Amino acid sequence: MARSNSYYTLVASLPAMPRYFEVERVPIAQPRLEKRLQMLKSQDAEVVEQLRAFLLWDRQPWDRTDEEVVSHYDELMSTTRNRLARHIVAFQMDIRTIISGLRRRRRGLPPPPGVGQWTDHIRKNWEDPQFGLRWQHPWIAEVDQLLDTTDCLRVERIKLGVTWNHLTRLAERYFFSFEVVLLYLARWEIIRRWTSRDAVLGRQRFEQLVTESLDEYANLYE
Amino acid sequence: MEEFVLLTLGWAGLYAPTALGAIGSILGCTRAGQAACGAMLEIESGYGRYVGVSALPSSQTIYGIVVMFTLNAREVTTESAPGLLAIGVMSGVALMMSAIMQGACCASAINVSKSKPEVFGLSIAPAAIVEGFAVFAFVFALVVSAGIPGLPQ
Repeated sequence: MARSNSYYTLVASLPAMPRYFEVERVPIAQPRLEKRLQMLKSQDAEVVEQLRAFLLWDRQPWDRTDEEVVSHYDELMSTTRNRLARHIVAFQMDIRTIISGLRRRRRGLPPPPGVGQWTDHIRKNWEDPQFGLRWQHPWIAEVDQLLDTTDCLRVERIKLGVTWNHLTRLAERYFFSFEVVLLYLARWEIIRRWTSRDAVLGRQRFEQLVTESLDEYANLYE
Repeated sequence: MEEFVLLTLGWAGLYAPTALGAIGSILGCTRAGQAACGAMLEIESGYGRYVGVSALPSSQTIYGIVVMFTLNAREVTTESAPGLLAIGVMSGVALMMSAIMQGACCASAINVSKSKPEVFGLSIAPAAIVEGFAVFAFVFALVVSAGIPGLPQ
């Protein structure tokens, strides 16, 4: 791995991350954050853009097939030079693959085509309630139970919490390097997702998805 | 030729504490200074103390200058050159490393106390401890240098 760039000014200019992601607001507003990120060197800014594009799942087209997601993931992993950025993406994809597996098993579907290090493992341990991952991902049992209920918020909280804790542990290894910026942004995105949960916005998003899926039939009865 | 090499190394050893100490101070003060500038974007007052902390790694250059003057009290000869080289380079490396690492400690102190001002004093303690090691290297360089031949009678 190439030696990381140092960003003493940038890192010191970012407000401290809270201990937990369940807070009222993001530690730094987006416009201000964008301004601070202008201190990044161009090649690092490129990596940040790639990572942020991945993290913004909401902006992804709803009708993207599993194959397209896999192809996008492969492209991202082959073009991203920074090892930590690749690790962040891979970790999030692992969680999505596991949850996708839990959902598919409930519906009697075969294992997900997924990506990441656990795909084959899940396939081999499809009958195991926790896919044989109880040590690596102890949260699977709880999420599996919650999928029986309609408590989506709790599932989301567990999902974000697992990622948050992992990123926080990683952040303890770095000081004033580009990796600190990457981990800060990944955690900032988690807080943004958590703080932007909103019933009205959720309804709008749902209606938007329905409209997109119905395409020209959307306004049939109007 | 051998004498020329020995004398060159002797002169290098003589100047090493200042040069290496200055390199360390440059790197240390730069890092701490950059962190201080970043913190200034986030805080509304107390800028001065951050600038003060960022200057802490400059002391190693002063220690280096004192060691250099002490070594310079003797003539550089083939007898004194090995001692000058060993003490000069070793003390210089110690001063350089302490300045660089002290800069990192200062940057962390600035970063932490920016969001938690009440820990400002305590956060400088690691930098002070690193300074202590620089003082050890400095003092014992002076003590050991007394044994190098070539001092005027």
